[in-house]
Amino acid sequence: MAVCIAVLTKDNCPLYIASDPAEDGLKMHFLVHTSIDVIEEKLNSATAANDPRDLYLGQLYPNEDYRIYGYVTNTKIKIVVIESITNPLKDGDARQVFSKVHSGYISLVCNPFYSPGDTITSQPFLNTVTSLMRGKAIA
Amino acid sequence: MSRGRGAVDPKRVSSELFSLTYGCMVAQLLKDFENPEEVNKQLESMGYNIGVRLIDDFLAHTPSVTRCTTLEEVADILCKQGFKMFLGIVPEIKNWTAAKDEFSLVITENPLAEYVELPPNCQDTLWYSNIICGVIRGALEMVQMDVKCSFVGDTLRGNDSTEIRIKFVKILEDSLPAGED
Repeated sequence: MAVCIAVLTKDNCPLYIASDPAEDGLKMHFLVHTSIDVIEEKLNSATAANDPRDLYLGQLYPNEDYRIYGYVTNTKIKIVVIESITNPLKDGDARQVFSKVHSGYISLVCNPFYSPGDTITSQPFLNTVTSLMRGKAIA
Repeated sequence: MSRGRGAVDPKRVSSELFSLTYGCMVAQLLKDFENPEEVNKQLESMGYNIGVRLIDDFLAHTPSVTRCTTLEEVADILCKQGFKMFLGIVPEIKNWTAAKDEFSLVITENPLAEYVELPPNCQDTLWYSNIICGVIRGALEMVQMDVKCSFVGDTLRGNDSTEIRIKFVKILEDSLPAGED
């Protein structure tokens, strides 16, 4: 079960970070922040490897309590999912979570009243993320 | 949409492009006027201008449509052919008054409002698809019918359904300009 889902812009500004209330919010913020470096590194090396751009980056780096997965879209919107090691997501599931968050983000951006770069307050997007965090069964 | 491209039918536009265009237009109007009531009026008058031109296009493409004698016929053609032709939806006709001079159009899937969420400051005042009211009023005016057209509910606002109320006022008689016989 995901304990934290974060969406960042291409300048690495947080658009949306939500974490399970049982977890330490600050620690989640910190982990997301540190994962930015890893994502940037992967992006820079990916250009050399000629990978397609909206790549699921997979597990970013090992940590004793959590697994951190990253995903970047063509428009350099980064999505980070942190989940606890006690309940690991399989590779396919992680991709599903990311693609759901991505589609939620696309619907959000199509709203004419949302400017890209604003923090996300849209209810449908929040509902998607909450349901993803709450249970893999729903995802 | 250039005519030179053989692959895409020049008369068809992606519905998403259409929704996004309309959405940006409403957002821009809100930014310019800042008052949702004013934006409603602007959308209605834009719709009116579209309607007076659209009716000729509609009648040219549907030669089977004849002069309507009752409001029911008008409602029927409006929904089954007019809306179908231009928006690809067929609204339901409901809530006729006893005198048969007023009815409701209920739209289930509004192509204009895909992905739209109203910002909180105009959640209770803006009728997002008000352009449709203007189009209906303009089109019917060109066939000598004066109608009042307004929204009574919108799913974007949290109502159960998107509903337009159309009230027949009178038949317009062509009047001679002043000074002529």
